[in-house]
Amino acid sequence: MAQKMSPAMRRYLLRFVPAMLAYVVVLSGSILAFENLRPTGPLLWVVAVAPALPIIAVIAIMGLYLMEERDEFQRGMSVQALLWGMGVTLAGATVWGFLENFGLVEHMPTYLAFPVFCGVFGLAQPLVRWRYK
Amino acid sequence: MKNRLKVLRAERDWSQADLADRLEVSRQTINALETGKYDPSLPLAFKIARLFGQPIESIFQDEA
Repeated sequence: MAQKMSPAMRRYLLRFVPAMLAYVVVLSGSILAFENLRPTGPLLWVVAVAPALPIIAVIAIMGLYLMEERDEFQRGMSVQALLWGMGVTLAGATVWGFLENFGLVEHMPTYLAFPVFCGVFGLAQPLVRWRYK
Repeated sequence: MKNRLKVLRAERDWSQADLADRLEVSRQTINALETGKYDPSLPLAFKIARLFGQPIESIFQDEA
């Protein structure tokens, strides 16, 4: 039987999808602006940081969902999945950082932290739910 | 924690989805409560007690 979506989950998706679309647009715009306009000084800072802003918005949207979700069990499962995402990302980044320090692995760009977090969060969700079946 | 949710629900001939609607939670939440895999917060426990018109301690039993 299909699950009815909670109002908070509906609002989450209505915010999440535009934010991710904005990310794609801003990231493309930022790369294009960098290649064509060759900005310098403060403008370069603006162009460089711009793609991070929609990602920060997505993080805030996740926080808003937790504040707005009235089904405490669903909220608890989301918190558990988010903690898996954060824990694995922090542990992975720490291990990678030390391996990098000793010249064992290549440098990993830190902007990959968020996609890794999202990936683990996404994988953890069905596993966390499965535990309560 | 053990509870009598399934019995109380069956007495009223409600499905899990019916109870979920009345408590404004998901059916999955009802399932987790009935199987004892999730213990409700005090506010949700009071809401359940009010819905069935019984005190909390006659619905939920502490096993310890």
